[in-house]
Amino acid sequence: MFSRHFAVILLSWAVVASPTRAAAQTSTATLSANIGAVASLTLSAATIAFPDADPDTVPLIPATAGPILITAKSRATAGAQVVLAVQATDDLRSGVSVIPASNITWTGSGVGFVAGTLSTSSPVTVAAWTGSGIRSGSQQFFFRNLWTHPTGTYTLTMIYTLSAP
Amino acid sequence: MTCVCRCALVWIVALSAASPVLAQGRGPQLDLTISPLSISFASASPDTTPVVTAPPIVVTVRVRQSTGPWSLTVLANGDLLSGSDAVDISNVTWTATPAPPFQGGTLSKTVAQRVASGTGTVNPAENGSLTFRLANSWTYNAASYTQTLVFTLTAP
Repeated sequence: MFSRHFAVILLSWAVVASPTRAAAQTSTATLSANIGAVASLTLSAATIAFPDADPDTVPLIPATAGPILITAKSRATAGAQVVLAVQATDDLRSGVSVIPASNITWTGSGVGFVAGTLSTSSPVTVAAWTGSGIRSGSQQFFFRNLWTHPTGTYTLTMIYTLSAP
Repeated sequence: MTCVCRCALVWIVALSAASPVLAQGRGPQLDLTISPLSISFASASPDTTPVVTAPPIVVTVRVRQSTGPWSLTVLANGDLLSGSDAVDISNVTWTATPAPPFQGGTLSKTVAQRVASGTGTVNPAENGSLTFRLANSWTYNAASYTQTLVFTLTAP
């Protein structure tokens, strides 16, 4: 009886010990990625122009080149509002003659794009979206043609700002 | 008389069963080191940097007392996470030199991916340079993401 018990003990040791001999070594590394908020804005044209016209026949003059195509790329925090806005640096000027920038309006086409009226005092929203992504749309400008505008060749500068918090 | 014979038989059986185990006790000895233990991707615009490259890490492998195959794998514990935001871990790839024994691949959170493999001993230790890359995208939410990678060196 003694010999049978001894054999059982030795064989059990062999079976249990085998897994502990498996050769494996592990090491852990940490992977991190800083994904920052960035924005990129592309306009199809840097200049828009309005032709001369009779205020009675063309009270609202569309820009000659047609709509400006806009591509807005933005990476923002989750749920954050991404805003494209435009502001005139000054009114329309031709020497000493001045036409308020508010005579320029636009319509928007594309998801998130809205109509608006140009302002010198504050940025006006052109489009707004939520979160990260690439968006495209267009902006068609109009000039309100009035008999009271002094003749001349007028210019102004507009600044577009795409913000992605 | 009967008792003596039984004891001898038991010793023979016991020794034949234990011998393979004793051989495994002198089996493969593995060493794995990684430096640095941190892999970082810097922020960049997807337009100018469509693929973000992290500084390379050095993986050192040493295999002793082995005649069979060995393998080094990597498994991500999940996607790159930042709170509820996630970037799929499959957007991370790596290249490796020298090849072989090291090799490039794409990270996975479900299946361990082979980083290096060979047969027999690797002694002295061999250094591999791994360069991880992140496919940059405008669709990612801005955040600081992290995840853990588990490297495993085995010689079954």
